[in-house]
Amino acid sequence: MITEEDLQKTNISLSYSISPVQNIICDLSALIGDFCEELIGSFYTRVVSKKANVVITELLNNAIENMLDKDSGIILNVKINEKRLLIEVMNVVNRTQYEKVKAQVQKINSANNIRELLKETIQQRRGKRLKGGLGLIRVVAENKFDISVDYKEPFLIVESQISLGGLN
Amino acid sequence: MRVLTYGDIMDVGTSVFTAVAKLDGAKLILSFSGVIRVDNPYKHLENYINDLEDELKESVINEIDFDFRELNFCNSNGFYVIMDITEIIYNRLSAPVLVKRLKDDDWQQETLPILLNIDEPEINNRTTFKEFSEL
Repeated sequence: MITEEDLQKTNISLSYSISPVQNIICDLSALIGDFCEELIGSFYTRVVSKKANVVITELLNNAIENMLDKDSGIILNVKINEKRLLIEVMNVVNRTQYEKVKAQVQKINSANNIRELLKETIQQRRGKRLKGGLGLIRVVAENKFDISVDYKEPFLIVESQISLGGLN
Repeated sequence: MRVLTYGDIMDVGTSVFTAVAKLDGAKLILSFSGVIRVDNPYKHLENYINDLEDELKESVINEIDFDFRELNFCNSNGFYVIMDITEIIYNRLSAPVLVKRLKDDDWQQETLPILLNIDEPEINNRTTFKEFSEL
């Protein structure tokens, strides 16, 4: 008989590639996020599957909203095994955009108090009613993922991962 | 129990989020359910927020519940609406506030207290969190 413990040793790997981005008129992040939550939730706990949904949603939205080249595509990779959940989003950007995202990731990763950074950012952005801009901080402060960023021209790669030890 | 105001967000013809303010005796219950994914939730909920302010002027309230248990997803733009609504309540009323939330939901555990401005002593002193398991 398969136990819950056995289920949480399941290896799942998904990859989506969609182009051109200008054709994405549906709520793509919701579609994929909700599907991944259902799929991962069939094997892992709700805590894990909900984290996957939120992080996929935030990273995909972030990428889609900041795409300059609407003819290019977007790639999402999701991998989960008993040790970790990894979510990676790749999209085409120029070096200036990459530097901007890199600076934001560095600011997040070097924050002494990530909750305080989240609070300050929410308050600042609320004052101006600015759309978005909280996704990467939420991934770290709220969902407790580690994030990193890389550039393999022309692709910006934002990788987020979390150890599942203690979450299952 | 009397419904004071009701607001919702429609997406492709379907209601995806509802906010309801009810009065049960002298207890005000604000419940939030569904998902906030749209870009400008304020546009959908502006009337609800204005009506809520008006209704509060005429109600006697000595207890307040915020119920977030059925709010399954909230994007960053939804944060501002949650802040707008809860700020009105905290500013207009002085009654104690009970916040019902899910213990395994990241945003309700980590970010919701920030949206309620829980670091402010006046708010902290009259706010209690009650944790629930998701059904």
